[in-house]
Amino acid sequence: MDGTRGAHIWTIIHVLAREEHETVSIRHTVQVCARVLSAGGAGLAMMREDGEAEPLYAIGPGTEALEEMQYALGEGPGAEVAGSGVPVLAADLRTDRAARRWPRFSREAARQGTAAAFAFPVGAGAALLGVLSAYRSTPGGLGGDALADALTCADAAFVLALDERGGINSDLWDLIEAAFAERRGEVHQAAGMVTAQLGVDLTAAFVVLRNHAYTHGRRLSDVAADVTAGRLRFGPARHDAAGTDRGAGGRPADGGREIP
Amino acid sequence: MSGTDQQVMAAIVELTDTIVPDFDIKHFADRLAAHGAGLPGIAAAGVLISEPDGGMPGISTASTAEALVLGEFQLERNEGPAIDAYRTGTYVRRPDLRGPDPRWPRFSATARAAGYGAVHALPLRLRTDTMGALSLFSPEAGALPESVVAAGRAIADAAGIGLAHRRRFDEQERLTVQLRNALDSRVVIEQAKGLLAERRRVDVGAAFDLLRAYARGHNTKIGEVAARVVDGSLDPRPGPSRTRRRTRSGI
Repeated sequence: MDGTRGAHIWTIIHVLAREEHETVSIRHTVQVCARVLSAGGAGLAMMREDGEAEPLYAIGPGTEALEEMQYALGEGPGAEVAGSGVPVLAADLRTDRAARRWPRFSREAARQGTAAAFAFPVGAGAALLGVLSAYRSTPGGLGGDALADALTCADAAFVLALDERGGINSDLWDLIEAAFAERRGEVHQAAGMVTAQLGVDLTAAFVVLRNHAYTHGRRLSDVAADVTAGRLRFGPARHDAAGTDRGAGGRPADGGREIP
Repeated sequence: MSGTDQQVMAAIVELTDTIVPDFDIKHFADRLAAHGAGLPGIAAAGVLISEPDGGMPGISTASTAEALVLGEFQLERNEGPAIDAYRTGTYVRRPDLRGPDPRWPRFSATARAAGYGAVHALPLRLRTDTMGALSLFSPEAGALPESVVAAGRAIADAAGIGLAHRRRFDEQERLTVQLRNALDSRVVIEQAKGLLAERRRVDVGAAFDLLRAYARGHNTKIGEVAARVVDGSLDPRPGPSRTRRRTRSGI
């Protein structure tokens, strides 16, 4: 990679931070990534040690919802990067190929007017720390410079995430705490509640939540908020003698029950 | 290009290529010793590499048994040209091992007894970071030709680059895993809050207080308590004294 381009990107990151009267932070690498790719949206997700990806930060309208869905379903360019550690560049999400590869993601992207998505690994080699993604409203691929610049942004995010000088990765931890306070905390609390409501393990509980969300065309975090507020409960679905599902009036087949 | 130049080129390519999935530091050190020993007029080469945190001994290897013994000798006594090259980050030489040397009183005699006439130790370093030393032993006393010194430096420098990059890579991997584990733990705490809130019919704030009280009462980290709540192995009650009170009152 050309060293001068890398220095150029770091300069943009520093200038952006200075404009905000802040120290350089991971957020700035996401913002600069959007800028250099002429993308209306960008997001950063972090890998957990259990292999799942946790969306932490998003900019641009609809990006947060798209990232949340992508990592909940394990479907989409970013979700693929989370599994492989290799960049995924989808220049046109409206093609048949994209629809086959990511049926629900591409439908949601189309609904939002997102036509292209590019996702990059944040990490060094085998140890993947996260995924940096960018979303555009017009289709089209990345030129060589743009790709190199995006990879530099991902690298910058990695360097900043590992930087302990501010005190135990305080920048990354601020991002995590903000995401958990906003929506992610409730998602995991809801999964815990459903575990107790249904007597299933956490993985199954999470699947129940996300299936309920995306079957009803709702955001996972909105469903989670209903669960933690007690407005939505899950109980075992009742079965008649023939073994088919019988829901009471207004009770979805997955056992989710709206509490008026 | 001379034969030595080609040797050096091959060594540089090999020794800088350390970001590979099957990297093994002992093998790396052996290869470095082999490259050193292959230089003109060099009878044997020894390699010392420190632990990533700088501690010695880390790796000690050599191209001959005699040179290996000399490496171990220097480590045990904390004295010798390789030790000096490592500590100072500079080229340390004894072109004539005959006669006493105030720097290493015992080493010179031992090296001569092993059949060597001269020793040249090169630091394995990148910028301010010295990670070890490459020792080149000649059969006869005398200064090394400049071309051989230059070749030795090039090989040692390449090893320094390769080592520095590998260490940084390993450290990044270690930190990444640490961060991912910390995020896992954070997630599990939220899951435990939800689980307890549902089970005890309290809000998540009260559930968190339960987790924290249990953690404090049992001198455990809240993350560990949460993990056990979530895997089903723990249904936390408050600390010991309160449990006794509850038992007495029959709750």
